[in-house]
Amino acid sequence: MKPLILIVEDDPQIRRFLRVALSSEGYRVQEATTAQDALAQAAAHRPEIILLDLGLPDCDGLEVIRGVRQWSTAPILVLSARGQERDKIEALDLGADDYVAKPFAVGEVLARIRAGLRRSNAVASGPIFHFGQIEVDLDKRLVKVNNEEVHLTPNEYKLLQVLIKHAGKVLTQRQLLSEVWGPNSTEQAQYVRVYIAQLRRKLEQNPARPKHLQTEPGVGYRLVAGD
Amino acid sequence: MSGIGSEDASHVEARPPARVAQIWRESAFAAGVLALSTLIALALRSYLAATNLVMVYLLGVVAIAARCSRRISLIASVVSVAAFDFFCVPPYLTFVVSDYEYLVTFTGMLVVALVISTLTARIRANVSQAMDREARTQALYQLSRTLSGQTRVFETAKAATDLAAEIFQARFVIFLPDEGRISFRKRTSEYLPIPMAEESIAQWVFDHRQKAGLRMENHPEGTAFYLPLRGSREICGVMCILPRISESIFSPEQQNLLELFADQTALALERTLSQKAAEDTRLRMETEQMRSSLLSAISHDLRTPLASITGAASTLRSQGEKLSTEVKNELLESISDEAERLSRLVGNLLDMTRFESGTVELRRDLYPLEEIVGSALQRLEANMEGRAVTTLIPEDLPPVFVDDVLIGQVVTNLLENALKYTPVGTPLELAAEPAQDGVILEVRDRGPGFASGEEQRIFEKFYRGASHGVRGGGLGLAICRAIAQAHQGSIEAFNRSGGGAIFRVRLPSGKVA
Repeated sequence: MKPLILIVEDDPQIRRFLRVALSSEGYRVQEATTAQDALAQAAAHRPEIILLDLGLPDCDGLEVIRGVRQWSTAPILVLSARGQERDKIEALDLGADDYVAKPFAVGEVLARIRAGLRRSNAVASGPIFHFGQIEVDLDKRLVKVNNEEVHLTPNEYKLLQVLIKHAGKVLTQRQLLSEVWGPNSTEQAQYVRVYIAQLRRKLEQNPARPKHLQTEPGVGYRLVAGD
Repeated sequence: MSGIGSEDASHVEARPPARVAQIWRESAFAAGVLALSTLIALALRSYLAATNLVMVYLLGVVAIAARCSRRISLIASVVSVAAFDFFCVPPYLTFVVSDYEYLVTFTGMLVVALVISTLTARIRANVSQAMDREARTQALYQLSRTLSGQTRVFETAKAATDLAAEIFQARFVIFLPDEGRISFRKRTSEYLPIPMAEESIAQWVFDHRQKAGLRMENHPEGTAFYLPLRGSREICGVMCILPRISESIFSPEQQNLLELFADQTALALERTLSQKAAEDTRLRMETEQMRSSLLSAISHDLRTPLASITGAASTLRSQGEKLSTEVKNELLESISDEAERLSRLVGNLLDMTRFESGTVELRRDLYPLEEIVGSALQRLEANMEGRAVTTLIPEDLPPVFVDDVLIGQVVTNLLENALKYTPVGTPLELAAEPAQDGVILEVRDRGPGFASGEEQRIFEKFYRGASHGVRGGGLGLAICRAIAQAHQGSIEAFNRSGGGAIFRVRLPSGKVA
């Protein structure tokens, strides 16, 4: 049976086209129009993925993330309006997995849903991780580009490790900082940028147009594993 | 009308201590001079005729009249005649006169002494009046010079009070009206030296255009003097004068000068007010004009895509069955393209509005420029149509202190602009280099470049270059300029040697957090 998706969105037009698009892909769909409704339905139906609009009539969509995350790890994909960087970051920090900015194309939403489902179903895929020309042996702590070993400093390696662990997912600066440098260094956003720049220089073919270590402007970073 | 702090009967006895001291000083001086004259006369008594000793006393009277007030010199004149009689006219040490001829001497001496005292006092008064006049002219000249340079109402008032405080040795505050009412909150001094309750006196002065306050006909209960600032047409405010010592009063000349001062200040205030009003009107008209050109531009740009969307969608609905898959796909594609265009236009309009209303808050931090450029290029990947974009960013370029999202938008807009206005297949270049106090970022193309004079206009809202079927809102570059300026940076465009255009953005390095 195809996965169940919960759509939390107050605008009927957007709900309608999402329902049509998702059903035609074979997904089962549940709909909620308010945050209260969303929490109730999430608890009742246990969806595999949640599409969440942040601007809901009764209360903030962030409340839904907070509520759902108390008992579920199902991927949450935020549908955000343009220019709400701060809300996006907050949603991600609270445990949302990804976001698409409105207006969005259906293709993009479907791709993000597939990526989310893949991540949540992923079984530990062995110690070797590949992306593009890059190979990372997480057991031996070895990083190779085009089969040539590259030396990374301990912090660079740790940062890469965190990005690989959440491959495909947007990580906010705060999340990266607390995972790599510890929970007390969340104000030093500088570190992340400097280390990402160094990683790009060592791993990417053209550091100014990175293929894998991508910036989400105003939000954070994402490791894109595809070629 | 009573003068400011004029000496009415009830206040005569309350003479300030300074004046009492002066009377004592002058009396002592007069007594000293008379004693000295007497000593000299005594010394010369055996050698000179008594009538000649009169000269000694008259010299003394001249000296006294030159230094002391008229009253004291008149008394001194009489005393000198008495002293002459007592010491110099035989029989000595009595007021008895042996020879009645001396009565003529006394009379002559008294008349001469009195005339000398009076004339000297008058000369002194003239001199001091001339000095006052000089000081007054000086003060008014200083005032008009100070005020002529002012362009703002508040600063004009402040400059006037500062100068007045210096000249009159008193505290001055000007209260400005707010919608027809005097408010103590709208004042030139930080500290309010008078009780809040006196706001009503100031309001009275404002309403009646008459002075009031301390020791005046109206509202004598006030702790300060209030003068209306009467301009040629309207009243511009109220000047409040608070003497440093509450008893001290202003002389009639000073009162006069104060009023002149107030009038000058009022005229200056009126001038700056009308300048401000003219400026406001000009701004309003410009805004109005901008709004109407904006409306006409937007309504066209919004309607065109809406028309295509409505048309395509209604065709699909009513004739869906009859259309070939190919045609259907074409219509669907145009719907999604036009919708995207609309969304971009609305987004740009929103951004522009936010910048113009000043509600954009920069979230600046240190970012590697490389990263900002990288994510912009990544975003545009789909629109590149295989264009070669060369990035030339030195590895050691210092990070820039900017809002990454906004500067990313500048890069995106500039690249989009280049993609739109240059022929497919021509190369683009994105270069950065450190500059004095900041970083320079350039987007270079090999397109047609600019017609002369166009380099400036392209940054204006709704301006569109001599385009060959290019569609767009004409806002992208205006937004770039707004963002650059919000960063205290700048943006310019010029033709590139060898053909093409260069857009150059200067970003100051800013303060390092």
